[in-house]
Amino acid sequence: MNFIKSYLREKQDSSSLALFRLGFGILMTISIIRFWQKGWIETLYLDPSFHFSFYGFEWVKPIGEFTYLIFLVCAISAFMVAIGYKYYLSIIIFFLSFTYIELMDKTTYLNHYYFISILSFLMIFLPCNARFSVDSLIYKKKYALIPKWNVDTIKFLLFIVYFYSGLAKINSDWLINAQPLKIWLMSNYDLPIIGNTIMQKEWFHYAMSWSGMFYDLLIPFLLIYNRTRVYAFLLVVFFHLFTAILFPIGMFPYIMIIAALIFFDEQTHKKIIMRISAFFKLSNIKSVVTEHKYFAYPKQKLSLFIITVFFIFQITFPFRYYFYPGELFWNEQGYRFSWRVMLIEKKGYSTFKIVDGESKQSFYVMNEDFLTELQERQMSFQPDFILEYAHHLGDHFTNKGIEKVEVYVDSYVTLNGRMNKRFIDPDKDLMKEKRGFKNKEWILPLNEKIKGF
Amino acid sequence: MKTKNYIILSLICIGLIFSCSKDSSDDNFISQVQSNQTNTTTDTTDTSSTSSSTGTTTTGTTTTQVSSFDRGTILVNYADNIIIPRHNDFKIALNELKNATDNFTDAPSIANYDLLHEKWVESYKKWQYIEMFNIGKAEEIMFYNKVNTYPASTDRINNNIDENKTDLSNPNDWSAQGFPGIDYMIHGIESTKQAIVDKYNNESKYGIYLKTLVNDMSTNTNIVIDDWGTYKASFISSVDNTATSAFNMLTNDFVFYFEKGLRTNKIGIPAGRFSTSPLPDRVEAYYSSKNSFEDISKILALESRKAAEDLFLGRSSSGDLGASYKSYLDYLETDLGATLISKLEAAETALNELEDNFISQINSDNNKMLLAFDALQTIVVNFKTDMLSNFNIAVDYVDADGD
Repeated sequence: MNFIKSYLREKQDSSSLALFRLGFGILMTISIIRFWQKGWIETLYLDPSFHFSFYGFEWVKPIGEFTYLIFLVCAISAFMVAIGYKYYLSIIIFFLSFTYIELMDKTTYLNHYYFISILSFLMIFLPCNARFSVDSLIYKKKYALIPKWNVDTIKFLLFIVYFYSGLAKINSDWLINAQPLKIWLMSNYDLPIIGNTIMQKEWFHYAMSWSGMFYDLLIPFLLIYNRTRVYAFLLVVFFHLFTAILFPIGMFPYIMIIAALIFFDEQTHKKIIMRISAFFKLSNIKSVVTEHKYFAYPKQKLSLFIITVFFIFQITFPFRYYFYPGELFWNEQGYRFSWRVMLIEKKGYSTFKIVDGESKQSFYVMNEDFLTELQERQMSFQPDFILEYAHHLGDHFTNKGIEKVEVYVDSYVTLNGRMNKRFIDPDKDLMKEKRGFKNKEWILPLNEKIKGF
Repeated sequence: MKTKNYIILSLICIGLIFSCSKDSSDDNFISQVQSNQTNTTTDTTDTSSTSSSTGTTTTGTTTTQVSSFDRGTILVNYADNIIIPRHNDFKIALNELKNATDNFTDAPSIANYDLLHEKWVESYKKWQYIEMFNIGKAEEIMFYNKVNTYPASTDRINNNIDENKTDLSNPNDWSAQGFPGIDYMIHGIESTKQAIVDKYNNESKYGIYLKTLVNDMSTNTNIVIDDWGTYKASFISSVDNTATSAFNMLTNDFVFYFEKGLRTNKIGIPAGRFSTSPLPDRVEAYYSSKNSFEDISKILALESRKAAEDLFLGRSSSGDLGASYKSYLDYLETDLGATLISKLEAAETALNELEDNFISQINSDNNKMLLAFDALQTIVVNFKTDMLSNFNIAVDYVDADGD
């Protein structure tokens, strides 16, 4: 206990959080603007007539033209976070608006969006505006020191992200078959110089798979350890820029590079802050601010409690797949929110049969009448999507006057280069199956064991 | 793309500097890269020689175990030996249709009618080989929609005839023109040959509209073919793996055509796969069958299947094989190519089981239609899951996940 108590009393320069806040806020602002500018608000949230919801969050939907307003609020709050203006309000609004956006349609689910959501949640409890912020100008206060554990929580979250995604790579598809990297790398034939040479080599696929696994597992340790930190950071930059070239992963590499800066020591952070400050000649305006030595944490116990619960959840939740039988990569029960990234190359083809339970007349549905291309593609290989869509179809045709609607699916899926297999029991009326966390018995087994985590 | 290239080059430089500054074992790496590069150049000459040599075709494509693969060779083969020649074939057939139309409308007679009908069938068959290339100019001017949207809208056509309408660019007129429009004009406005000829003799508005339809097709075909003259260069060089590259768009078009143009439109919809009961009036070339002129729905479906098979195998009209999706799959070391070949043959068998007249086939034994549908469906599944997965065709315009 004493150890914990003294740990909680340890202090660190507040520059670390300030710099992190600045980087996070700027990148988020850019991300939202980029998303908007690419027209994705329209194509992903306004064009589709139907949206796939997360279980329990069916009430979170795009709100027509006002969806733009959510993005505007999100972008503004991100910018306010960056400059540290009304920080607590801003980060709460950012967390809520960003999370709302991510919950609107799970077609666009990405682990790194989830990462942003939970990181911004964590930041609600951290005094990231203690220094180098508009708030400190307004309240004429700044704090030189903050609790060390504040910074450590961010490091720990990053640790979980990397380490868990490394653990997930310890599986036979990834290490023994070099899949799906084999497929993905070979399709990068169009890159100059390396595209038609090493990208096509089997040894390179294995090298990438194995080094990717070691990278994810070890990089958090190398970043924590003083003597390896600089090299580790260079590796982070190299690795993420490399993946940025190879895969269409948007802002994520840049976010991870900036986030990894948190592992450097407080003096480095302070220096960077000074540099930025000097560059923008901010020192001219700081004269009125009185400097306080140590940030007095309001309700530290409550914050600590919430953060502890938060981390217990983060540590345990990714292992929930243990409660489901069958192959995780195949049935994807417990796959999301678990830092399983770039692990599966999956494509499906699912066509739905509507049966009138009374006349036994039947017909097939053309998916493009109900879904966008992206939605159809995501739906075709994910069981929870298939079920939700089946119910949507059932409801639609009930409204059209078919009284006892039955919905069946012809579904075929290919996983990591395996020849396609039938995915869902074609004789199960999906209208009779309920959404939820219970094991989906209507998924046909892969009949093959992918060994590992 | 440019920034991408810069990033790569700088990363490679960093990598090289890193490895050079370390111990000598890294030298092996560099020399290995160099030897790989020399491999590549010899390999590409290999593949180009197989695609140009005509005699040993089958062995040529099955034994291409190269250590690198250039998607560009596929596009070159497709453009030079399939797309452009097939378009030119269509143009020739269409010119004959045009002449026959002029003959007939100038002097409507049974003899001139028979020639017109024959040319319509010939050009409709040739069309099956190019409908899938909904890319470049063809996509821009909605070529496929204007040439083969069926069922024809008879109301719309009759209206257009009465109004002497010549501008058919409105999307609502897609179903009032092209081959289905002509089908109605020469097989549907009356139910016998003599009655139709009489109509053209009595009222000039029919001839005017028929000519408009044929001329529009001819104009659009020339636009598309002329454009290939310049488009070809950018087409064959557009091999990067992005959503807008020619290779990816062509592949998506091909799969889309097989699913929609062939499976759904020619078989699925008339057989009632997407409705509670069969819809025999939705067959391709409906009026020709309905009024007993000539049953060509099956012929067109068979041509369409062959067109798809030709592209998959990289086979020109003279039967020569070249670089193709099939040889690419072989390079990727999957069994998919062989599977698809046998399934494409099975689909041909299933189609051959059908009566020439799809309308009577549907009315007498629709189950055979459904079997043909299933034979095509199983190929669609392979295309859309296995093949697209192996090619890792980038179709996403959105971010994917990363670590």
